[in-house]
Amino acid sequence: MKKELLIQKWLDGEINDAELTAFKALPEYASYAKLSEKAKLFEDTSYDVDFEYGKLNTIISERRQKTATPVKTLNWLKPLMRVAAILLVGLAIYYAPLYGDTTTVKTLASNQTTIQLPDNSNVKLNASSSLQYKKGDWENNREVNLVGEAYFDVAKGSQFDVNTWLGKVSVLGTQFNVKQRVNYFEVTCYEGLVSLKYKGKEIKLPAGKSFKVIGNEIIVDETKDSLPSWSNKNMSSFKSVPYSEVIQEFERQYNIKVETNNVDMTQLFTGSFALNDQELALKAITLPLELKYNKENKNKIVLTKE
Amino acid sequence: MVQSLNSNVCEERIFSNIFKTLSKDVHNFLRYKYGDNLNPKDKVQEAFIKLWDNCKNVSPEKAKSFLFTTANNMMLNEVKHQKVVLKHQQVKPKHYTNETPEFIMEESEYMKKYQRALGNLTEAQREAFLMNRIEGKKHKEIAAELGISRKGVEKRIYGALEKLRKEIDGI
Repeated sequence: MKKELLIQKWLDGEINDAELTAFKALPEYASYAKLSEKAKLFEDTSYDVDFEYGKLNTIISERRQKTATPVKTLNWLKPLMRVAAILLVGLAIYYAPLYGDTTTVKTLASNQTTIQLPDNSNVKLNASSSLQYKKGDWENNREVNLVGEAYFDVAKGSQFDVNTWLGKVSVLGTQFNVKQRVNYFEVTCYEGLVSLKYKGKEIKLPAGKSFKVIGNEIIVDETKDSLPSWSNKNMSSFKSVPYSEVIQEFERQYNIKVETNNVDMTQLFTGSFALNDQELALKAITLPLELKYNKENKNKIVLTKE
Repeated sequence: MVQSLNSNVCEERIFSNIFKTLSKDVHNFLRYKYGDNLNPKDKVQEAFIKLWDNCKNVSPEKAKSFLFTTANNMMLNEVKHQKVVLKHQQVKPKHYTNETPEFIMEESEYMKKYQRALGNLTEAQREAFLMNRIEGKKHKEIAAELGISRKGVEKRIYGALEKLRKEIDGI
């Protein structure tokens, strides 16, 4: 009975030092510890909320188009609706800056876009990402919310915060890139100084350094580039990144589904692929690992390890 | 009586919020319960499509139970007494290797036994055990999520651990 209680406390993380010593003295301790440690390997790290949401959105918008039945409207209704719509848009444009509504910019898979923030800072948004900010209320609310990946070129002397659900990045006139995925977070500073908050800790990142979190592992690395390769060279580059992240980036950039067969998704990949030539990009990510690829149809590619 | 301002989940902002907070939990719940062979990711998608179809009738507070119930029912329609198999990751490749081939063999044998033993747990045991060990959820959180008592959770997790140990150690 005593033993059961000890184990339950240990499982719940509530065990104190004396109890832990008693627990460690049990003959079965090694067995329990190994079971607990290896359980983590059964995690499915491939679940990407953003990717799944993108998938769902496509299905739903397709259905929306199908279900939108072509109802015959009365002849006078249509022009009236047009007038109403124009009035509404006009009012919305007039009042939007006053009320400081949140502005959201989204990119679809295989798309990029550039946004200018109210303080003349430029943001380049990579594929399948979204950025939110308060246009009208910028003076009091100098922060943007980011899901996905973006490159920030901040106007001199302008301070604001970038929130992601993995960490917060604060800046003062600088250039940097933020990449945030479900199990991956990367901030690279190209110019100036960036301060970032990750799990309650504050880290100062000078130019030429990058900060990466893969799973629970933190890596600080260097970069020689002056801009992220996706924004100026039309390439996606990776340095010691799990292969699963590379595949997901490929899916985002080419809006295609990639299935893998017998491929080790945890192995680390260093290299890059082009964003404007699918065939070339496929070769770049498969040849180094001796994988074979097969285009099943327009929307699906299968990679196989021989 | 506090009336909810957002009476249904049709609005895109609410719907996407629900997806972002709950989809992974629904996914893990299905995976732990039914394994990887029945495509838990697809079922999550289907459940959310169903939520969207019925968005006018579901309040945001009800969305969670709607999703879990719907996803669970979709799985039940497909389960034909299949063996539950959960895929595991390969043990991380190290940059250096000082492990003997025997050690690596033993480790992979261990994972195979582990996988089989997990499949032999009851759904209730496996679900609670993996929520605790993989996601690091506290007993209290799991109890709230599964709608059972904390004592019940403790019993399930402890039972799972003992059963796994006995089966793997071959006692």
